[in-house]
Amino acid sequence: MPMLTSEIVPGLVAGGASCRMDADVAPKFKPGDRVTTININPLGHTRLPRYVRGKTGTVARDHGVFAFPDTSVSGVHSDPQHVYSVRFEGEELWGQDANARSCLYIDMFDRYLEPA
Amino acid sequence: MNGIHDLGGMHGLGPIEREADEPYFHEEWEGRVFGLFFANFAQGHFNVDQFRHGIEKMAPAGYLQTSYYEHWLHSFETLLSEKGIISLEELDRKQAELSQAGDT
Repeated sequence: MPMLTSEIVPGLVAGGASCRMDADVAPKFKPGDRVTTININPLGHTRLPRYVRGKTGTVARDHGVFAFPDTSVSGVHSDPQHVYSVRFEGEELWGQDANARSCLYIDMFDRYLEPA
Repeated sequence: MNGIHDLGGMHGLGPIEREADEPYFHEEWEGRVFGLFFANFAQGHFNVDQFRHGIEKMAPAGYLQTSYYEHWLHSFETLLSEKGIISLEELDRKQAELSQAGDT
């Protein structure tokens, strides 16, 4: 069984328990693309918060390929896919109550997004 | 899951307190809990998604009444007992021993 050793502690603390995967997966989107998030309500784990479901934004950046949390919660990192920083305008998320200058950048997995 | 952890957009939770020179940990036990994550992770007891889901499954009232690192500890206890690495009886016994010894 692997053990925590003093050599691996600094990397773990600095980088966290990264879920980046070395997998050759094509991105569905590129920066500048307009995307709409899906509306899902799974009983299990997801990184798609309620207030971002069914909203439309713009891909700002492609972070690379990571394990999909919704399936990796089974214990094995799986379903590698691109993760993007997506920009949502405040008004899209909060309607007329939004601060007019607010926006949100949030990391979204490929599977959460559809072309807008 | 649509759990209590998904707080985005909720009102009435009060302001975010900003501290000048905020320390990494406010209590010594918080640093120990932080270290427990890496010890357990390195031994393969759980991955980060299981760890997060362990927090999401907390009972809503308990979640709101406990602090950030208490959420971490709750997840460790849930996951390690679910996987049979520790038992809740064992945990209760050790906690009783420690509180009797005054070392809480």
